[in-house]
Amino acid sequence: MTSAAATREQAGLSEELLAQFARTVGDGGIIVERSQLQTYECDGLTAVRNVPAAVLLPRTRDEVQSIILLCAQHKIPFVARGAGTGLSGGALPAAGGIVLSFARMNRILAVDTVNQRVTVEPGVINTHITQRVAAAGYFYAPDPSSQTVCTIGGNVAENAGGAHCLKYGFTTTHVLGLEVILPTGELVHFGSSPPDAPGYDLAGVFVGSEGTLGVATAITLRIVKRPEEVQVLLAAFNTIAAAGQTVSDIIAASILPAAMEIMDRLSIEAAEVSVHPGYPACEALLLVELDGSHAEVELQIKQVQQLCRANGAWEDRLAQSVGERMLVWKGRKAAFAAAGRLAPNYIVQDGVIPRTKLPVILEEIAVMAAETGLRVTNVFHAGDGNLHPIVLYDASIPAQEALAVDLSIRILHRCVDHGGSITGEHGVGREKQQAMGYMYSEPDMDTMQLVRCAFDPDNLANPDKLFPRPRLCGEKSGPYTPHPLEVSGVAEFF
Amino acid sequence: MDAPTHLEQANLLRKRFCDALGAEYVSDSLGSISILPVETEHVAGAMRLAHAEGLEVAITGGSTKRVAWLRDTAPVWIRTTSLTEVREHTWQDLTCTVQAGCRWQALQSALGRHGQFVALDPLYPDRATVGGIIATNDSGSLRLKYGSLRDLVIGMTIVLADGTIAKSGGKVVKNVAGYDLHKLMIGAEGTLGVITEVTFRLHAIPRHTRSFTVDCRTPQPVGELLLAILNSHLNTQAMQLRNSKEGFHLDVQLAALPEVISQQTDALRSMVRHLQLDASDSVSDVWKMREWAFSQPGMCTIKATMLPSQIPATLAAIHALGGAGVIQATGIMIAHLPPPGVEGILQLRAQVETAGGSLTIVRDGAKGVDRWGKLPDSIDLMRRIKHQFDPGNILNPGCFVGGI
Repeated sequence: MTSAAATREQAGLSEELLAQFARTVGDGGIIVERSQLQTYECDGLTAVRNVPAAVLLPRTRDEVQSIILLCAQHKIPFVARGAGTGLSGGALPAAGGIVLSFARMNRILAVDTVNQRVTVEPGVINTHITQRVAAAGYFYAPDPSSQTVCTIGGNVAENAGGAHCLKYGFTTTHVLGLEVILPTGELVHFGSSPPDAPGYDLAGVFVGSEGTLGVATAITLRIVKRPEEVQVLLAAFNTIAAAGQTVSDIIAASILPAAMEIMDRLSIEAAEVSVHPGYPACEALLLVELDGSHAEVELQIKQVQQLCRANGAWEDRLAQSVGERMLVWKGRKAAFAAAGRLAPNYIVQDGVIPRTKLPVILEEIAVMAAETGLRVTNVFHAGDGNLHPIVLYDASIPAQEALAVDLSIRILHRCVDHGGSITGEHGVGREKQQAMGYMYSEPDMDTMQLVRCAFDPDNLANPDKLFPRPRLCGEKSGPYTPHPLEVSGVAEFF
Repeated sequence: MDAPTHLEQANLLRKRFCDALGAEYVSDSLGSISILPVETEHVAGAMRLAHAEGLEVAITGGSTKRVAWLRDTAPVWIRTTSLTEVREHTWQDLTCTVQAGCRWQALQSALGRHGQFVALDPLYPDRATVGGIIATNDSGSLRLKYGSLRDLVIGMTIVLADGTIAKSGGKVVKNVAGYDLHKLMIGAEGTLGVITEVTFRLHAIPRHTRSFTVDCRTPQPVGELLLAILNSHLNTQAMQLRNSKEGFHLDVQLAALPEVISQQTDALRSMVRHLQLDASDSVSDVWKMREWAFSQPGMCTIKATMLPSQIPATLAAIHALGGAGVIQATGIMIAHLPPPGVEGILQLRAQVETAGGSLTIVRDGAKGVDRWGKLPDSIDLMRRIKHQFDPGNILNPGCFVGGI
């Protein structure tokens, strides 16, 4: 018996069961070689890895259902995977579990521009939807930075956001209906193409459930009319506080931009080196995108420019062409990857604070960073208070990784202290399980568990994610006192 | 000793609620006990007791959408009309937190002091409460621009059937930590828990709007106009198609800066002329027409949902049945039909269900017509969720889809 086969046997996946799985997906639909399985051992959170027992690549809904029925029958844990771009370990396999890859379910099933809807398979890449409907004057609004590679199935699982959700909303805003295979193997439909399907809003609770409630096999999405005019303004400030104040002033002036982003000096420099977006060299760069009718955008851009200057912006300019605008956004969306030029290793965090707390939290992050001796660079969706502090470190220096993890978790705790959240768009996954306990009380999380138990009584769908520790359905909760090391994020409860 | 009489039992029960909550929060009338909470804790205390005793609990706010099938026989009623405080309005962050019994208009007046509002126009805002509007997932014409409650509610405090107080979401608009339990509560008609406090995201009140009405004898031309406007760059804030004895009427509301609105008006007029129609300024109450459609005495009131392209055909069917309705451009209709009309309703239901939509009876149903129509294929899962949240089946039992 090979070592891979031995691991599978240990996980309860016999050669016979493996053969059954292989039959459901046909030739070329199953991966069991250890070297190939390693591709699937983690997602964008590379610090945690588990080699799965097998990867299955179904082509149809029926194949997905057959696989999940087998998993349910034999109590095999499974996780769905799109492009593996998630940043919180959502697609991390359970040890000895199955990965369902949607790489072969990537068809756009229906396009209805009259009713502004599309129906797609989960493996469709986010930008492919916009490409498909652009000629009719439409686009798909949620735009996570990884949108050229990430898939809609993953976007649904994580309730993906992006820079433009300030105006257009998140993935959940755009999901109208879902075809889902429950962890029990049942095929069900949530929501519908028309609004307000009778019954509980199961689509609402499914989107963002991080793969713990089942697997979507078809998704009906809203598409949005492309605005007549789009303008991007870049404004350079001497302090982040001044840029942050400008954001508040823009909102107070009843202007709702499509996006408002701030980058600090380190991020600007890193982006400049990596994709040359031509940003001004400054302490804080504010990007404001306005869209709408020609006349409206023209008026509002003037207002925004005045507000920038009133807050001390020493340069403000408009991206002059579609190409230049694309480059501005490319620089912003490359910010995480560009952090790799600043340090050998980095942790991207995803805290949210009420917008008015921006100056306070940035000051606190600077102080905490100085205390630990680590550098933190900040890129954020300023319009909705979603911070992406990037903690830079060098894993080859003893204990520095633990220090960086601890700092990043303490930043999240501060976000919660200010009335915010531990994650705005990346999800809890494996990464922030312990921080959930800082944000929610035990009764809050027990109530969420009621939902999970109704969907997945055997805890097979992406187990050991999202909640601080797996709790079995039917298990009574007792008072849970986290170890001080857990609270500080130094140790994890497995 | 003799067994206690019914009256003695009722008195005993009342005393237990008084002991648990304080006498000022409990009253009784017509053989049932009313709980009048001013804090979430009062609701939790009442639910703990009801749960322990296995007592059915009905929850009510402003009673504007009281439906015939809500059991009047429940021994315990939670009446949220004293749970009215606007807890917090952080206008700089465009959020507010309010108790569930606050009347919609009272909330909007408080928010209006800073030029903000919850961008939703439900039925009967002067009487309907925040909690009741959420429990019934009401929405009006503004949904076209701002979305529905699932897009506007960002946090919630709920009390479960056993008295557990749970919070979902928070005070920031962007938040993906944990399940969106509050979305599960929206439209659940109080069958999963009692909503006691809600946090909303807010919008600036649009300062400049202008409404137009386009009349037509037949539905198709105005239906075509509706689709053309949806596919245009007009800043359309609200749009609805309705019928009357005279024919069919499309109402359109534009919202834009004053410098822009005249340009947009010209663009709209030219689209209207292109279809050989005329647009005139709307009379003031067109955006209240849903209430008129909802409240005709002696009529059967229905809600139906459809794709925008099916709007004219559906309204034509209502018209042919002698009914009248208002359909939002989002595809949600409120309409009333004269009784008995059973055959007509069933035919109409078949028509909208075939196209993927739904037709539910919301008030004064016709005899022999089930309230919900075709059950969703997820009904077993919905029942499992109900069982997890309320194993004793004490919260608004029997009033929801599939007898939940």
